[in-house]
Amino acid sequence: MTNGLILAIIGAAIASLLAGIGSAKGVGLVGEAAAGVVSVDPSKFSKVLVLELLPGTQGLYGLLISFIILTRTGLLSGNPAELSVTQGLAFLIGALPIGIVGLLSALAQGRTAAAGVGITAKKPEHNSKGIIMAAMVETYAILALLISVLIINNIAV
Amino acid sequence: MSGTKYAFAVAAIKSMESSLLTRTEIDRLINSTSPSEKQAVLASSDTGSLEDTWKMIRGYAPDDKTLDILLYKNDFHNLKAALKAIMSDRDPADYFIKPANIDTELIVNAINTKEFETLPDYMRDAAAEAYELITRTLDGQLSDSLIDRAALLAMQKGADKSGSEFMKRYAEYMTVTSDIKTAYRCAKMNKPRRFMENAICGSSALDGEMLINAAMSGLEGLFSFLDSSSYSEPSALLKESPARFEKWCDDIIMELAETSRFKTFGSEPLAAFYIAKEAEIKNLRILSVCAESGTDKETITERMRKLYV
Repeated sequence: MTNGLILAIIGAAIASLLAGIGSAKGVGLVGEAAAGVVSVDPSKFSKVLVLELLPGTQGLYGLLISFIILTRTGLLSGNPAELSVTQGLAFLIGALPIGIVGLLSALAQGRTAAAGVGITAKKPEHNSKGIIMAAMVETYAILALLISVLIINNIAV
Repeated sequence: MSGTKYAFAVAAIKSMESSLLTRTEIDRLINSTSPSEKQAVLASSDTGSLEDTWKMIRGYAPDDKTLDILLYKNDFHNLKAALKAIMSDRDPADYFIKPANIDTELIVNAINTKEFETLPDYMRDAAAEAYELITRTLDGQLSDSLIDRAALLAMQKGADKSGSEFMKRYAEYMTVTSDIKTAYRCAKMNKPRRFMENAICGSSALDGEMLINAAMSGLEGLFSFLDSSSYSEPSALLKESPARFEKWCDDIIMELAETSRFKTFGSEPLAAFYIAKEAEIKNLRILSVCAESGTDKETITERMRKLYV
C-alpha cells in the first residue's frame, strides 16, 4: 500500500466522518425538538418527521463521496491502485468540501429545522414553510457535493 | 450550539402557547353578558393554575437553576408571611403563595428553630436579619422592606450568576419598578432616609442613592428626577394614577417575554411562557373583580395587561 493510497483512504474517511457527525448532531437536535412537540400533540408526528430527516442528507453525501473514492482507487474491487502522494493528496482534497461543508451545513440545518418544528408546534398548517427554510441550507451541501464529485472524478489514476 | 439542551422543552412549550388566551378571547370575555358565554371562552383555553404551569415547565425543562429566579419573589413573600404569622401566632399556611422554590415548611422550621442555615444561600442572611429586626423592633413594615430588598438583590445576583441576559433584564426591570414604587410611597408618606435605604435596592439602570435623594425631596423632586431619567414614561403614568403605573410594570415584563417568542433554544421561551401565564391569570382576576364591582367595559379594557399571544 502506497502513501498516496493511505492519503486517499484518509480522504474517504474524512468525507464520511465529518458529514456523518454533522448529520447525527443535526438530526439529533431536531429529534429532541420534535419529541417535545409530539409529547404534547402526537398527531403532529408525521409533520415533524420530515423536518427531522432534512439534516440527515449530508451524512449520505459524505458516504457517497467515500464510495466514489474507494471505487476509483480500486479498494472496493480488491485491486488497489498504486497512487502517488500527489494523487492521494488530490483525493483527500476532493473529500474536504463535502466533509467540512457537510458538517457545518448539517449543524445549521439542524437549527433551522428545529426552528421549523416551532412553526409546526404553533401553526401546523404552515409546516411546509419550515421545511422550505430548512431545505435552503441544503443548497450549500449539494454545491459542496458537486465540487467533491468533480474533483475526485477528474483525478487521473 | 448554546442552549440546544432546551430544544425538547421549548418545542413542547411552543405547542402549548396556543392554549393561552388571545386578545380576541379576552375581548370576548369583557363583552360577554352571560356566565355561559364566559365559560365557553374559558373552555377553549387551558386556564390551569400557575402552580400547574410551573410543574409542567419544570417537568419539561432540564435541571437548571436559571428558571428558579422567576420564583424568588414568591419565596421571599413566603418568608415575610411566615415571619409575620409566627410573630402574631397565626397559621402561616393561609398566607403562602405557590409556586415557590423553597418548601414553606422549611421556612417555618427555620424561623421556629432559628436555624437559618437550613435555608438556601440566597435567602439565609435575609431571613436571619429580618427575624432579628422583627423580634427587636416588632416593626413588620421594616422587616418586609428588608426582605423585599433582599429578594431583588437575590434576583440580581442569581441572574448574574446564570449569565442569562434575559434573566438579567428581568431582575433589572423588577428592581426598577419596585424601587420606583417604594420611592413613591416613601415620598408620599415622608419616610425617613434610613427606611428608604433599607427598602430601595438600586440597580445599574436606576441608581438607588440618587432615587433616595430624589424621594427625600418629596413627590415633586421624585417626579422631576424620574422625568430627567429614562423612566419619564412611567413617571408620567404614576403622576396620572398608580394603577396605570402598575400596568406599565407588568407590561414591560411582558415586552421582555416577547423578545424570546421567536427563540428556538435556551431557557427564555420557558420563562416567557410562565410570565405569559402569570399575566393571563392576572387579567382573569382583574376581569372577575371588575365584573363584581360593575366596572364599565372601557375601564376593564384599559386595565388589561399585555398578552403574550
